[in-house]
Amino acid sequence: MSEISQIKKINNMLTSKEISCEELTKSYLAQIDKVNGDLNAYVNVTPDIALASAKKVDEKLAKGEDISLLAGVPMTLKDNISTDGIETTCCSNILKGYKPIYNATVWNILKEQDAVLLGKTNMDEFAMGSSCETSCFGGAKNPHSFDHVAGGSSGGVASAVGGNIAAYGLGSDTGGSIRQPASFCGIVGLKPSYGAVSRFGLIAYASSLDQIGPITTNVEDTAIIYDAISQYDEKDSTSQGKKGCSTCEALKKDIKGMKIGIAREYLEGVRDDVKEAIENAVKVYESLGAEIVYFNLPALKFALPVYYILACAEASSNLGRYDGIRYGYKTPTYENVNDMICKTRSEGFGDEVKRRILLGTYVLSAGYYDAYYKKAQNLRGTIVKAFKNAFDSCDVILAPTVPMTAFKVGHAASDPIETYLTDICTVPVNIAGLPAVSLPCGFNPKGMPIGMQLIGNTFCEGTILNAAWSYENKVRDSVFKSPELGVKL
Amino acid sequence: MVSHDDVIQIARLAKLSIKEDELDALTGEMQNIIDFADTINSAAESGEAFDNINNLSNVFHDDVVIPSYPTEKILENAKDVADDCFLVKKRCD
Repeated sequence: MSEISQIKKINNMLTSKEISCEELTKSYLAQIDKVNGDLNAYVNVTPDIALASAKKVDEKLAKGEDISLLAGVPMTLKDNISTDGIETTCCSNILKGYKPIYNATVWNILKEQDAVLLGKTNMDEFAMGSSCETSCFGGAKNPHSFDHVAGGSSGGVASAVGGNIAAYGLGSDTGGSIRQPASFCGIVGLKPSYGAVSRFGLIAYASSLDQIGPITTNVEDTAIIYDAISQYDEKDSTSQGKKGCSTCEALKKDIKGMKIGIAREYLEGVRDDVKEAIENAVKVYESLGAEIVYFNLPALKFALPVYYILACAEASSNLGRYDGIRYGYKTPTYENVNDMICKTRSEGFGDEVKRRILLGTYVLSAGYYDAYYKKAQNLRGTIVKAFKNAFDSCDVILAPTVPMTAFKVGHAASDPIETYLTDICTVPVNIAGLPAVSLPCGFNPKGMPIGMQLIGNTFCEGTILNAAWSYENKVRDSVFKSPELGVKL
Repeated sequence: MVSHDDVIQIARLAKLSIKEDELDALTGEMQNIIDFADTINSAAESGEAFDNINNLSNVFHDDVVIPSYPTEKILENAKDVADDCFLVKKRCD
């Protein structure tokens, strides 16, 4: 059986001298050159940095030194992950030209292991959106159909990995921003437990919800990257690192007897083709010996408004730092400091970002704080408790990642509420700080991928990836399909 | 009911300028989003007290001075600097 893990395959190719790292990197750069015009996945390609890293790996191999599994593997980072000296814009006009003076911890970890950074990828502005179309560079396209969006907010990473112009990438997930584009592009995306992966250097959207995680073409690569980046970091006060054993060790265990829960609320309002794919996945799990448990989670009803109140409140505070004084865009003409700050922010931020800042400011203002922010925080406690109770009766919860497949380019923009509703299946996980992995589980009649998510109890990444790998191992050929694009390994 | 004045006041607090011709559309959008957010107030329960995620507790560091980034690096991204400082217009006479 051929190797499914792209990372292991590349490592074998490099260590067996089948290809040099420089040749491999050049083939990825050539394919980026060829297809990025269609995909708009990369907003900043970094060939010099990539080739310098590749040269270092080739030198180590020439000297007969051991290299890490991630050494020489060409990858990408979402454009909100800080990279020392490399422009990091959050795909916002207000940060165009900004070059961080330090690395995010996750990038330091991967760089230490000689990862090859091909460039920074597209995203919704400040990670606020579900289609990647709020990016100031225009949206990333879906590798399965250029007429469809890649999803958001980590649409560029998903487009690049799905289109085979990066072997893997790191995105961030505040309300589904890793899982939703992974679902739309037919690949795998993991939102880790809150605290498992350091956010130091991640440009903040909503700090009580944000997590960094991997986007890959297969479950094993997700486990490899998660194991590498889930380390305690004193620079992130919420950091706890990985708990328990490596997820790679847990990956291939027999899942016979595993209890897989289905919360009925997750299937309400879901399109028929998505529901059918989920029902088929349930049958696969039954055939693998898992026990299916049905239950209700009524607290989910309030998850979406709770998410938007809390996320926007935190965003209104986090984005207060963009004032034109220390970095980023500054308005050219103004009368005084207050006028400069207001004009800079109004000219630099896009419409969706301004909308969310205004909502956040509203729910935190005197007279509205108790009715919105405080109430939402209390309901967050209810949702956390409801999930805790659910995990008394099951090991993993299976749900759709998104109620539909990727929408057509330009379709998402007009009604903010309608767009927010697409996040209905993904936000509860962020509210409760849980881990969840999205993986493909079928296609709609037009050939667009459908995704499902497996949600685990806190720090149970090993359990959900074990369940995900078992499913992939059983049905990979029928639910994973790589488009004819990019690099063929 | 969200009014023009509410939006102007919130924008002032958020340090955003709203143009006159944006006000109608923005007020309507804000009203729709607030109506959506308001659905939480139909919850029968008052909710559980929530103070942290995943039993996190505060992390304290020893009160020791450690090296930071050089001043010139920190100033690299600023548009206007003078005498190792960020430059802004005078705020009072």
